[in-house]
Amino acid sequence: MPLVTAYHRPRSLDEALDLLSSPRRVALGGGTTLNADREPSDLEAVDLQALGLDRVAAADDGRVRLGATATLDAVRRCELLPESLRELARAEQPSTLRTLATVGGLVARASAESLMLAGLLAHEARVELAGPGRAGSAESGLGELLAAGLRPGSLITAVTVDPSGSTAVSRTGRTPADVPIVGAYGRRTDGFVAMALTGVADHPVLVDVHDPTAGLDPAGDFRGSRDYRLHLAGTLTARVMQELYP
Amino acid sequence: MTIDITFELNGAAATLAVEPHHSLREALRRLGMFSVRFGSDSGETGAAAVLYDGRLASADVILAASADGHSVTTVESLNVSPDLHPIQTAFVAVGAFQSGYSAGAMILGTLALLRENPDPSEDEIRDMLSGILDRETAYVKPVEAVKRAAAVLRGAESEPFAPLVLEPLTDGYRPAPDGDTGTAPEAPHAVPRLVPSREVPDMAVVGKPEVKVDAVRLAKGNPAFTDDIEPRGMLYAKVLRSPHAHARILSIDDSRARAVPGVHAVLHHGNTPRVKYASGGQSWPNPHPYDQVSFDDRVRHVGDRVAAVAAETIEAAEEAVRLIDVTYEVLPAVFDERLAMDPDAPKIHDEEDTTHICDPERNLVHHLAAQRGDVDGNLAAAPHVFEQTFRVHQVQQCPIEPHISMAWLDSDERMVVRTATQVPFHTRRMLAPLIDMDIKDIRVIKPRIGGGFGAKQEMLIEDIVAHLAIATRRPVRLELDRAEEFYASRTRHPQTITFRTAVDDDGTLLAQDMRLIGNTGPYGTHGFTVQIVSGLRGLTSYNAASKRFDCHVVYTNIPVPGAYRGYGAPQAEFALEAHMEDIAGALGLDPIEFKRRNWVKVGDEMDIAPHLGERAVAEEELDEYPKVMSSGIEECVAQGMREMGWSRRNDESWKAPPDRPNIRRGLGFAFCMHGTAIPFLDMGGCSIKLNDDGSFNMLIGATDLGTGADTVIGQIAAEVLGVPLDDIKVYSSDTDMTPFDTGAYASSTTYISGTAALRAAEAVRVRLKERAAMLLEVDEPCTIELRDRRAYAADGRSVTLEEIALDSLHWQEQEQIMGTASHVSPDCPPPFAAQFAEVEVDTDTGQVTVTKLVMAVDCGVAINPVTASGQVEGGMIQALGYAHCEEMVYDDDGRMVNPSFGPYKIYRADEMPDTVVYLVQTMEDSGPFGAKAVAEIPKDGVAPAVRNAILNATGVALNDLPFTPERVWAALQAQA
Repeated sequence: MPLVTAYHRPRSLDEALDLLSSPRRVALGGGTTLNADREPSDLEAVDLQALGLDRVAAADDGRVRLGATATLDAVRRCELLPESLRELARAEQPSTLRTLATVGGLVARASAESLMLAGLLAHEARVELAGPGRAGSAESGLGELLAAGLRPGSLITAVTVDPSGSTAVSRTGRTPADVPIVGAYGRRTDGFVAMALTGVADHPVLVDVHDPTAGLDPAGDFRGSRDYRLHLAGTLTARVMQELYP
Repeated sequence: MTIDITFELNGAAATLAVEPHHSLREALRRLGMFSVRFGSDSGETGAAAVLYDGRLASADVILAASADGHSVTTVESLNVSPDLHPIQTAFVAVGAFQSGYSAGAMILGTLALLRENPDPSEDEIRDMLSGILDRETAYVKPVEAVKRAAAVLRGAESEPFAPLVLEPLTDGYRPAPDGDTGTAPEAPHAVPRLVPSREVPDMAVVGKPEVKVDAVRLAKGNPAFTDDIEPRGMLYAKVLRSPHAHARILSIDDSRARAVPGVHAVLHHGNTPRVKYASGGQSWPNPHPYDQVSFDDRVRHVGDRVAAVAAETIEAAEEAVRLIDVTYEVLPAVFDERLAMDPDAPKIHDEEDTTHICDPERNLVHHLAAQRGDVDGNLAAAPHVFEQTFRVHQVQQCPIEPHISMAWLDSDERMVVRTATQVPFHTRRMLAPLIDMDIKDIRVIKPRIGGGFGAKQEMLIEDIVAHLAIATRRPVRLELDRAEEFYASRTRHPQTITFRTAVDDDGTLLAQDMRLIGNTGPYGTHGFTVQIVSGLRGLTSYNAASKRFDCHVVYTNIPVPGAYRGYGAPQAEFALEAHMEDIAGALGLDPIEFKRRNWVKVGDEMDIAPHLGERAVAEEELDEYPKVMSSGIEECVAQGMREMGWSRRNDESWKAPPDRPNIRRGLGFAFCMHGTAIPFLDMGGCSIKLNDDGSFNMLIGATDLGTGADTVIGQIAAEVLGVPLDDIKVYSSDTDMTPFDTGAYASSTTYISGTAALRAAEAVRVRLKERAAMLLEVDEPCTIELRDRRAYAADGRSVTLEEIALDSLHWQEQEQIMGTASHVSPDCPPPFAAQFAEVEVDTDTGQVTVTKLVMAVDCGVAINPVTASGQVEGGMIQALGYAHCEEMVYDDDGRMVNPSFGPYKIYRADEMPDTVVYLVQTMEDSGPFGAKAVAEIPKDGVAPAVRNAILNATGVALNDLPFTPERVWAALQAQA
């Protein structure tokens, strides 16, 4: 638990954005990232729980809107989403943490190893943002946001996804429930395939299914060297393609 | 700044003032919810899981302030009467708790799951348990408990949970005539398969699946563990740890730390006496060298102690630790045991006051050697000689309860240490010189322990809290966080092992030469004895005309290895069983047949054993070598082969499934042999007294880590005294109250402490019979029988034990009927086991999936088959982690890069292989009611069985652990 020196629970988005305009203040979703931080810090928590951002619902355009403070457990239960994406929400965290971890936190953390994020990428996720300040809302593609990072003082309010298409997933890990060393999630719609990979860049990325390792230069670690990760990227992409085009 | 919060706690409003940084776990414990326990700050252990608005959630990562307005449920909500809730009952009935440290979380998770889905699938149950890491049970019995609870809550009758009794497949000595033909019996995996021996009589309590004596308190989440009390005025300690793998401390300035409000003491080498010691919890005299002091002017691994602080709050202590200014002279470091003896390697102990290092210039702590027969001659003359080198790595025990101790001076100014330890008596003795107090002025209390696995067979932090208690004259508490548990606790020794084996043309072993380099990190602790056990296990499992052990134990700068369940055996047996498998392959022999030809059998000498160990003797000093007196290995092999469907091993259509072209399947086997206690050394005591109502108090020094030792020892006494287990009230252990015991290690508790209990109970029984004879006016007390809480005369007349108690305590010739006994054994009867593994290997990625583990164990008579099978299940999965996914990884500077669960991967409930346990009875005459050990042997065979299964699947022989995907893929690439 970091050294939180003050706690705020804003009742409105404007109030939250006002509070987050200070660099010492950090948005608090489920707490599975922020509160798990062991490093000492001097920060103020801005708890988003009272903002009403936790709804998961169908949007008018056929997309599904996942509120920023909706938990991964709520995503897992959402029957509007394809089973594959719900399963990713289940597998992203164990039972005791997925009831806390939020969609907004998942996006803000931008973990390179998140297969759930890869799934969102493949489902053409768009991220609704507010702020910084009171400037109103904006929208960004998830891929662009992951590449550029979240602007200080801005707040994720929702993520929308296109649930359509057929999907397949493949992963390699030390054990069946391990965070994948590399994971691949593919979505096929009308002859087009969106393929997203984890474990091969600073954050999950969409790749060219015909040349999945193009431009990739993953950092190796003890679970997988650079070359091994590139090998897996090719192998797992091929497997997903085979499943999408049996 | 405090915040007032109000939330619903177990159905009632709770109001509390909290700091912004307080977690919900801390808040709940302040409110007396002791079932909510610390496993890590980041919530991944699940030990602090509660129902948060009805859903299972880790309270570690919820700010207490965030809980304002929410509903929180803990397991205490179920404790509305002395009776248990049906979910608690189900967990108790199937033996789902070992230490029970995370019991509350499991029960709450079940409660939430069954409210939503009264009939969950096994996958759903395992998913619910996925967030509650359990290092003890392998989740086998918890899953069964949830199923039973669901059934009961749906209205089904609850059947007693009992072993499945099977007919033997062998005559006990020869292989099964039909190989693995036949169908394995059907039963839930949690049910132990029991193969009785005709030599074992039926008994009333022994051999029965009795409920653990501590089950109710664990199921209710009652305060039981070290942290579940809080002495008034307690201070909190934190330790400043070295950021360097090797450095000299040039100066320490603690002035800024002392100025932090609330700080009461800062201790370091400048203000603490320099008393040399060895921290391993072992019998007196501890093996040399004594190469540690409480605080040194030299640090020898990242995480080594530099200073300690006691303060009013944890936050103040942490702040003070950050403000201690230390100037280091960073020194070169060495991490690999193969490089430690190089002339250019840095010298890790060059101080003058550490003696008994074999060769400090070469970082050589010990050189161990033993030999029988003409090894060189046999190697030279043999038709076949095989040599292989194996490298085994460093892993951590990972008890979910980290190390925790608290100390205070009592009203007599004696030092009281309440601590999670496996060795309370050793700790008391070892602590005394460090704090300059007499042993008689120290009291060590061991409450329930949340797992130890050897990590707590050490005096690890008790000296720190004692020093601080003396300095502050206040109670002081120190608990390691999860990262410290990795790099500042104890671990398994890495080793490099070379076997050279000479074999005759018919497959008979002629010589085995075992060379070993053991890495003991920067301190000796268990370095001597762990490596000795490696030699024992490496060279006593198989007969050979000659044998030699040559071992170098070296210092390095890795975090300190120590005792870890198995204690040198898992390393050696991995190398040995891999080596034997490959020899069989090279000679074209069936591996089981080849091993069977050579493994030790009843009547064989354990020929090198007396020459290894703390009390090793020369050949000329021996009257005779110890022999194997019982072995059920043939039955174990037969049952395991049938359960595993061993003939599939050669079925190509099964091994290469046509619909999954990247998958290869394989089966592997490992022969396992362990020890039972340390002969002539391990000793345990027991005291039993009769109460007014005919019940008994039993005091034992043995330390139950969650293994069920209290229960098993209680069963032994109950059997002797003719009472149900519930009439034996077991208390362990407290150095002021209970008899001495060496502690929980070396697979000794049932055998040693159990025999002490047996003898103490026999002493009580003698007196009970005499008093009964007096009351019944029978001339010969020996004709009296005790059973069913009564003493029976031969003619059928009887008196109750209560009547005897009331008569003896209050009426005539008053006396306290009691018995005390202790036991040390000259024997070390080996348990045997057959370990089988089934794997799938993804040949494109190297990913290995272990799909099934079967262990058939000869542990003599399992005093309690449920707790015994639980030991095997949990041990196998720990061993699977060792083989498959666990590893401590360092950067170039010796900093561990994965000191948290996740990056350091331990198995969780939703990814487990099927596990099946067989208990094959044999009658070991030297053990209590025929018992041998069971606790450690499950650690021995999994790594080689998995390795041999990968070999069977792919033809690739892996000689390094663990079998991570890239390592396997690289081997497959090399083969291609």
